[in-house]
Amino acid sequence: MHWLSTKKAKIGLLAPTLAVYTLFIIVPVIVAVYYSFTEYSGLGKATFTGLENYFRMFQDRLFLIALKNTFLVLCASVVFLMVGSFLIALIMNVDFKGNGLFKMVLFAPYVIAPIIIGIIWGYILNPNYGLLNSFLRAVGLDALAIEWIGGTTWTPLALAIVFTWQVLGFHSTIFLSGLRTIPRDLYEAASIDGASGIQKVFRITLPMLKETIMINVVLVITGVFKIYELVVQLTGGGPAHQSELLTSYMYFTVFQSRRYGYGMAIAVAVLVCSVLGSFVYIQITARKRREGK
Amino acid sequence: MEGKKFSIKKTAFYLLAAGLLFLALIPILWSVLLSFKTNSEIVNAPLSLPDSLSFDNYQRALDTINFPRMYANTLILVVVSVFFSICLTFMSSFAIARLTYKSDRVADILYLYLLIGVAIPVYVLLFPIYRIDSLMGILGTRLGLILPYIAVNISFNTLIFVGFLREFPSELEEAAIIDGCGLIQLCTRVVIPVMKPTFVTIVIFNAVYVFNEYPFASTFIQDTSMNTISLMTSMFKGQYSMDYSGIIAASLLIMVPELIFYVLMQRDIISGMTDGAVKG
Repeated sequence: MHWLSTKKAKIGLLAPTLAVYTLFIIVPVIVAVYYSFTEYSGLGKATFTGLENYFRMFQDRLFLIALKNTFLVLCASVVFLMVGSFLIALIMNVDFKGNGLFKMVLFAPYVIAPIIIGIIWGYILNPNYGLLNSFLRAVGLDALAIEWIGGTTWTPLALAIVFTWQVLGFHSTIFLSGLRTIPRDLYEAASIDGASGIQKVFRITLPMLKETIMINVVLVITGVFKIYELVVQLTGGGPAHQSELLTSYMYFTVFQSRRYGYGMAIAVAVLVCSVLGSFVYIQITARKRREGK
Repeated sequence: MEGKKFSIKKTAFYLLAAGLLFLALIPILWSVLLSFKTNSEIVNAPLSLPDSLSFDNYQRALDTINFPRMYANTLILVVVSVFFSICLTFMSSFAIARLTYKSDRVADILYLYLLIGVAIPVYVLLFPIYRIDSLMGILGTRLGLILPYIAVNISFNTLIFVGFLREFPSELEEAAIIDGCGLIQLCTRVVIPVMKPTFVTIVIFNAVYVFNEYPFASTFIQDTSMNTISLMTSMFKGQYSMDYSGIIAASLLIMVPELIFYVLMQRDIISGMTDGAVKG
């Protein structure tokens, strides 16, 4: 295509994207990293403090709580979503009446604004008048009617449950497209050899889905680092910042307590976690593309 | 599992599927139920049905929220930012995938540079863009939101566009050039018509993101007359935090148009969003 590859064409096609992207993605990251080495209150000049903000993070009890909460949400979500979406995908893969409706309903939460999801689930998880506890009490399981939100212990679990509801259909659909790539003859051959249904799942389906499983895990990881609205709506990070995640704690540090330098150090920490996750993701998809060719 | 023969396996399967469907729908069904109850019914008799079927809560929500304005505010952002992010990234992706450079590595380096954004959580960008917007004098304006929305979508769009354009048959392209097509005609007459499904994927991905976006909107918008859907929902909840039934009625009202759109477009949305995530 060298006929059209003039310098003018190249600049005209590339410049607008590069300008917007550089100014609003790359420069901000550099700015964030810069501020993370400073102390800055919004007035006057930022004072350079080197790595102090990063050392401070590990002595900051609230940061460690946010880190722990994020980790707990991550672990619970990976378990719920991997098991749940795989089973749902197996159902979606069966040709039955109502399959379309099933898929549509399960995927729907993925397109609802997270802020609305947070509000709705607040009415389910509220320890006093929420559906979950009211139901548990009505059937005599008072012991299970715990402080899902608003307490200091169970919020990460509650967040993982809501997040699971939100993205379950999405991850199931990814599994489903993986399932469709497995050749039918494999199952037929296994049937002839007398394999049971469960044996087929463990011997054929799961090994064949290795790559899909990896993609799903990575998407869950990066997804968890984006949870923010749910925290805002369900607990606001409270009580006393006991239920913050890294994202919401960073937001609080920057925009409410106006410790910009420290907030940016937390932001950079979030960035590093997410980049590590995405790096694995890109590696997998890049390999997949090469194999595809 | 053939014919009309009764089969335990089949029945069990349908029960399981129906059970899961019901579980997934509970939050929505519960909200609909709550939206007809009064505040004291919600708090004092959580599991009871509403005493009377009244639309008071919806009326209150409709009276308080300026729906046309909120939708207009959101749709302006969606239409403008999606339009520009698609135009810009189509152009740049075309240049990366189809034009030749002195060194082969130039295109690869540009491509990788534009992909970095995939790995960057928007929360990192909030404060820096806040500063950049205020330096440019566009903080709190629509432009101040549209530009970051365009930027945030660039990486994803590049991933999808370049992936497709690299596989575009060069014979078609060469034939068009020999027939005397220039660059613009080549794109509009030959390349774009073949790429409809790719465009649908990208439009849906970008539009859903901007439509539901909250962190940027809530941080940058200071003038309440510019409130978007997400922002309005959370402001309503903040202002009338004791009006439980009003909040839930408002949330449902805000959600309904989105869900109708989803039901109409479900095939494209589901395949678009999952293909987009997997293809890479």
